[in-house]
Amino acid sequence: MKSINGIQFADMVQMGAHHLFQNADYVDALNVFPVPDGDTGTNMNLSMTSGAKETAAHTNEHIGKTAQALSKGLLMGARGNSGVILSQLFRGFGKSIEQFDTLNAKQFADALNYGVETAYKAVMKPVEGTILTVAKDSARKAVEVSEDVEDIRELMEAIVAEAKKSLDRTPDLLPVLKEVGVVDSGGQGLVFVYEGFLASLKGEELPSKTIGSSMDDLVSAEHHMSVQGFMDTADIEFGFCTEFMVRFEDGKKAFDETTFRNDLSEYGDSLLVISDDEIAKIHIHSETPGEVLTYGQQYGDLIKIKIENMRQQHTEIVGEGYSTGETTKKAEIHPYAIVTVAMGSGVSELLKSLGASAVIEGGQTMNPSTEDIVKAIEAVGAERVLILPNNKNIVMAAEQAAEILGIEAAVVPTKTIPQGMAAILAFNPQATVEENKNNMTESYAQVKTGQVTFAVRDTSIDGVEIKKDDFMALAEGKIVLSNPSLKEVTTSLIQTLMDEEAEIVTVIYGEGVSEEEANEFAAFIEAKYGEVEVEVYNGKQPLYPYILSVE
Amino acid sequence: MSIELKNEFGLIDISQDTVAQIAGGAAIECYGIVGMASKHQIRDGLTDILRKENFTKGVLVRQEKENLHIDMYIIVSYGTKISEIAYQVQSKVKYTLNKSLGMSVKSVNVYVQGVRVANV
Repeated sequence: MKSINGIQFADMVQMGAHHLFQNADYVDALNVFPVPDGDTGTNMNLSMTSGAKETAAHTNEHIGKTAQALSKGLLMGARGNSGVILSQLFRGFGKSIEQFDTLNAKQFADALNYGVETAYKAVMKPVEGTILTVAKDSARKAVEVSEDVEDIRELMEAIVAEAKKSLDRTPDLLPVLKEVGVVDSGGQGLVFVYEGFLASLKGEELPSKTIGSSMDDLVSAEHHMSVQGFMDTADIEFGFCTEFMVRFEDGKKAFDETTFRNDLSEYGDSLLVISDDEIAKIHIHSETPGEVLTYGQQYGDLIKIKIENMRQQHTEIVGEGYSTGETTKKAEIHPYAIVTVAMGSGVSELLKSLGASAVIEGGQTMNPSTEDIVKAIEAVGAERVLILPNNKNIVMAAEQAAEILGIEAAVVPTKTIPQGMAAILAFNPQATVEENKNNMTESYAQVKTGQVTFAVRDTSIDGVEIKKDDFMALAEGKIVLSNPSLKEVTTSLIQTLMDEEAEIVTVIYGEGVSEEEANEFAAFIEAKYGEVEVEVYNGKQPLYPYILSVE
Repeated sequence: MSIELKNEFGLIDISQDTVAQIAGGAAIECYGIVGMASKHQIRDGLTDILRKENFTKGVLVRQEKENLHIDMYIIVSYGTKISEIAYQVQSKVKYTLNKSLGMSVKSVNVYVQGVRVANV
């Protein structure tokens, strides 16, 4: 066959579409990329069917015109990623042969190649290992072969062979395919189309379903899908992966695939049934594999039976003790823990988010006792512990607790919440207790703390006159100002704390301050000191409307 | 503003830029996308395709409670079925964000800002 015309091409398209239609389920099962939603086959089939319909309606001896019809039909019916790509492949193909009555081998190969070029132009970042790669490889091969070969049948044979090889290589190009152990679904779809083309040229009929080694692909795709759904061993609903074949026998129940499939679906999920006249191959996840086998026996002899306990397998993968029924929750073991003290649920959360294993409620007016600290540490169950008191009145109690504990323990004598935060950030789980203590102590020394609280009585400290209920500003523990205006006190406190090295200001606002006020204050800092970064947290602490940290 | 996730160990803050880059990166892998476009093409003077560092101009991320809402501004290739490509972008972005952030994406709104004709 030296050339093809529009009518022959239209027949190729019909065969390609039909072959794809027959195998759409299989293509669906392979679909793990770009999104594992298992619809590539369905989408490609709908696209191709639309293309084939349009081609059938406008078949013309002129191959250019027939190809235009295919291109238009594909564009209109394009569904899904692979469908769109397919439409682009044949859009380019059609465009390049617009003027041709017939195609010879060389022209056919060039047109395929032009289609690939068109398809690649429509994408910013082509992902290799997909239908694009299969189309590209086979078109290249076509151009190469068409140098010597004039027979289009022979050319198409070479194209199909190369497309299959390229398809087999897709898992090497696209890691997700390798992981799941399948070939690319879109690429497989294209192979089906090309196989249809070839069958048409040869005047052959294609088998209605591709069966055989493909079962393995199907099974791994099916496993992948069902594995994605759950994380916990106890979540496996159907525990036994059951695979077997039934060889049909005369005198036994007559086989009907739809009935068979429906009946089996009652026993579990991830069901696959592939059959021909003599044999059916079944894959199912079931809780009662015995019943499944019994059901299969109604149709004939069972061969090649394989049953695996998936819970066992999953447990081995996850590496945890498997228990039937309820999962036992082990107490968490912290080999290394930081235990700290704070007031206010917001501050506690903040410290925990930084890495504290436990936060003891307390500070200023309600100091936790040595016993409180010991209990908290024991509750964590750590082997080594660092204690951050965050208050100078608790340092002693913390030291005592560290002595009593009987595990490796050290106190990092933080006196304020900002110091505690800075210390936690310097924690290194790989370092020894002593090293951590030193690093953390060094680190919190870099932080300046400001606190705003209110006076409970009239007094005079450090030369500052203080009246009851006035706000007081403390910079590094020293009273610097007292004034009835919270805003004024806080503003001048930040001015006292700021210096040229300041980079980050953390504002923890407590009870009596609204989020808006805190944000206003943060905006003020940002406006006045352009270089610094300001973070605002709701510490919900009592007694201190503001805690500021400058580092 | 950042996206906040909470688990038993603490908080995870992911900046909107990061989310925008993940979403943009996922989108441009989709077939038929020529690139991301700026939301305000004239104001930003970025009539052309956005580079990776500018994705935030073409990807808007909003968080409402546990849900993410994403607006994407894209340029598609001429001669493709735009509705399908937009749909691909939606599902790919949704899938990728869910996979990498573990967050549910409530909506991915796609705005096609332009069509680019390939030199065919």
